[in-house]
Order: sequence, then C-alpha cells, then structure tokens
Amino acid sequence: MNEVTFCKLYGNIPLPQLQGYGWVFCEGLTTTLIVGVSCIPFVILLGLLGAWGKLSGNRVARIVAGAYTTVVRGVPELVLILLTYYGITLILQKTLTAIMGEQVLIDIDRFTAGTITLGLIYGAFATEVFRGAYLAVDRGQIEAAKAYGMNRHVAFVRVVMPQMLRFALPGLGNVWLVLIKATALMSVIQLPELMRMTDIAARAVRMPFTFYFAASLLYLSITIVSIWLLHRGERWASRGVRRA
Amino acid sequence: MKKLLTLAVAAFAFTAISTAADADMQKVRIGTEGAYPPFNSIDESGNLVGFDIDIANALCAAANFECEFVVQDWDGIIDGLTTNKYDAIIASMSITEKRMEVVDFTEKYYNTPAKFIANKGTDLDFTEGTGLEGAKVGVQGATIHEDFVRMTWPGAEVVTYATQDEANADLVSGRVDLVMADSVALDFGFLQTDAGACCEFVGADYNDPAIHGEGAGIAIRKGEADLQAALDAALVQILSDGTYKAINDEYFNYNVYGEDLPAM
Repeated sequence: MNEVTFCKLYGNIPLPQLQGYGWVFCEGLTTTLIVGVSCIPFVILLGLLGAWGKLSGNRVARIVAGAYTTVVRGVPELVLILLTYYGITLILQKTLTAIMGEQVLIDIDRFTAGTITLGLIYGAFATEVFRGAYLAVDRGQIEAAKAYGMNRHVAFVRVVMPQMLRFALPGLGNVWLVLIKATALMSVIQLPELMRMTDIAARAVRMPFTFYFAASLLYLSITIVSIWLLHRGERWASRGVRRA
Repeated sequence: MKKLLTLAVAAFAFTAISTAADADMQKVRIGTEGAYPPFNSIDESGNLVGFDIDIANALCAAANFECEFVVQDWDGIIDGLTTNKYDAIIASMSITEKRMEVVDFTEKYYNTPAKFIANKGTDLDFTEGTGLEGAKVGVQGATIHEDFVRMTWPGAEVVTYATQDEANADLVSGRVDLVMADSVALDFGFLQTDAGACCEFVGADYNDPAIHGEGAGIAIRKGEADLQAALDAALVQILSDGTYKAINDEYFNYNVYGEDLPAM
C-alpha cells in the first residue's frame, strides 16, 4: 500500500483533521466505483437470463431460474462472498490435491471473484425487475407487432425491449444503489474499498467519527449523482409517453 | 520445501501458471491486518508500521527470506492463509487450540497478559466464577478474550464488537462497564490516547494458558514444516542476537516476550 499512487499525489484531501490520511478516500472510492461499475454487465446479463428463464415455457429453465433467485436472495451477501472466494478455492484445492497426489494451491483473483459474486447476487434482484417490466408491457403491443409480420425476436428488440426499459429503469436504479453499498463487504477478500480504507485510517489515528462521517458523505454523493443520472435516464426512456 | 503447484483461476477458466521455483531467496508473503496499533497499522504515507511488522522484517532478514506484506481485514485472515493468498500471518494472532485445528503456529513471539479497563473509579467484584454479575463486558468478537470472559464470569453480559476501537468507544459512552483485551493493546491503543483519559486498568493480569494460549505466534498453513522450522530458527536468532530486544525497547518500556530474553 506504500506505492506512490495517483490518489496520494493528487487525491489527498489536505484537511488537518485527517492527519495526512486524506488520500484514503480517493483510493477507496476508486476501488468501490470500479467494482460497482464492473458488476453492472453481470447484473444485467444475469437479470435478463433469469427473467427469460422464469417466463420461459421450458420447465427446466423455470426451475433453474427460480432456484437461482430464491437461493441468492435468501443468503446474506457476506456469506456468498466468503463462499465464492474462500469456499470454492478450498474445495478446488482439496479436490485437486486428492486427484494429483501433491499439494495444490489455487489462487482466485480477488477482483474477479468479488465482481462475479456481487454480479451474481444482484443479478437475482435484477431478474425480478426485468420479469416485472416484461409483464408490464401491454400484451396488445406484442400482438400488434405480430400482426405487422414481425417475428418474435424482431418484436422483442423493436417493441418489447424499449418499453421494458422504461418499466425496468427505476427498479434497476434501486439495485445499483444497493449494490454500491454492498461493495463495502469486499474488504473481507482484501479489496481495499472505501469502507476498508476509511477503517484503516480511522483506526490508525483513532478518529472513527471524522473518518466514517466523511465516508458516509462520499457514499451519499454517489447516491445523489446516481439518482440524478437515473432520473434523466428515466425521462429518456419515457419519451413518447404522455405525462399525466 | 514441499513442491507447491500454484494454479490461478481467472473467472471460471483454469490456467496453470507457475510452479514455485527454489530461487536463491525464498519469497514469503506475510498477511497482516494493518489496523491494530501499535502492533500493526498503516501510517499516513500508506506504510505498514508497528511491532509485528518490525519483528516480521527482522525474521525475514534472519531467515534470508524476501518478504512481501499483504494487508487483509481480520475477518477472513485465516481463510486467506489456507487459500494461499499469503504464506504466514504475523498479526498478533494468539496461538490457540481452536486455530491449531486449521493452521500451524511457530513458537510465540510475544505474550502479554489480558486485562480489563473501566472508567476511572469503577469498583467491581472480579471473583472468578461468581463476580461481575450483570456487568456488561465489551470484547472483540471471535477472540480469546471473548471466550475467557464467557468461561470465567458466567454472570457477565458479553457484548461483542468487530473491532477493539468500537468496544473502547462504547466503554467511553457507558454502553459497557468493562472492556477486556490484551494489556499492551489497551495501553497503547487506548489508555495513552486522549480518548482513553477516562479510563484505567482494573482487576488482575490474566494469563490462563488453557485459554490465552502461549501468546502470539506466526500462523502458517498446515504441513509446511520447512517454513515453520525456518521461522522458529529465525526467532531464536533474533532473540539471542539482541534484535528482538532492540525492537521491544522501541515500542515498550517493559519486556513483552513473556519470559526473560536469552542472554546475548
């Protein structure tokens, strides 16, 4: 942690109250945002797949998607993170050691593991958002698209998707806001996100209130910026819909 | 050293990358918490500092290891060792039976007693077994101090915290009557600071080997006898050549080894 980083050079908040630890916020915030943003593609992909599974006529797909959302939403995030990062590593190590007859040590990259785990968790929540959004699209729209001669895929992309997006955005925004806060759990797998960096500094100078308060303001500002962007996104997705 | 095959798993794909080669200088990665002053913490430039860190560096020099530190939250610090994120934990970890089911330890590198602190003027009955009836005792969760308080004073109400600082903060605000932890950690981490002006040591020194163990040791993965032997030998060396005493005196004005240092 002693290497010279961008944050130490330019991201230091030179307030005397922070006793030289002003850079921890920049470091932590960067990790938090990178982890959070990297999760989004997983969340959307898994959410769409899950929603497709739940709504599909295929019994197996329905069961798999149902099990996924039930298990993932039912187990605390921290447990899932520890399970993927340490549990899976240990199982692989023990199995491979037994097979190969010599000690095998596995190293799962913490960033990859963390991103996948959070993506997996919030993908389950996004599944429900997309499912609800799909069901909210008027059936008559699909029938009309068919009447125009569009096949199922074309109808989905041109007619259903744009309308789904409008219904899904508020829910997805919610998932994003919860996800950003859940990144604080990543410190158990050595990812120095905002909460962990704040913790290190707060404990080194023994000023928990100052540091945690500053961190809470940063989390809050992520939320405020996100809400603003989401609001604009929602307006864009609702263009062409008459406001009441 | 037992030949270790290191595999890296990126996403879901398995990629074998390297077989640990026996270079001239063995590379050892050391896991530490970085949030337990004065034993291990991070200074304002981001450097790891503290007694544990100095001891670790001295041991690495004595054993001719090339050492690298990995900072890890206390939660998951043993999991990180068993899953090969680092090779040894030097983070003031007490040697206990429970932990020895999962990891091996070197000999202790320090052993300080556990003590209570309380707001000044607190008068309580510390009789083991019957004392502290109804008293609220704050401890860091999943530590020997939690086990010890639960076993020794069944009448006490144990309140557990994720970190020592949270327990101390609740002592100041009166949410708990007592806090138990390692004497040195309490002394340096709290009593000697502005926040600790309220409080003082109370009760006796506690050092029950059955619970407090032999002191703090270096945790390593099970079955790595060569690393264990090398670290133990390095420990004997720094104890006898005066390095240990020099580090000890830099941080403490008494001997934290727990027994007399060997004559030089």
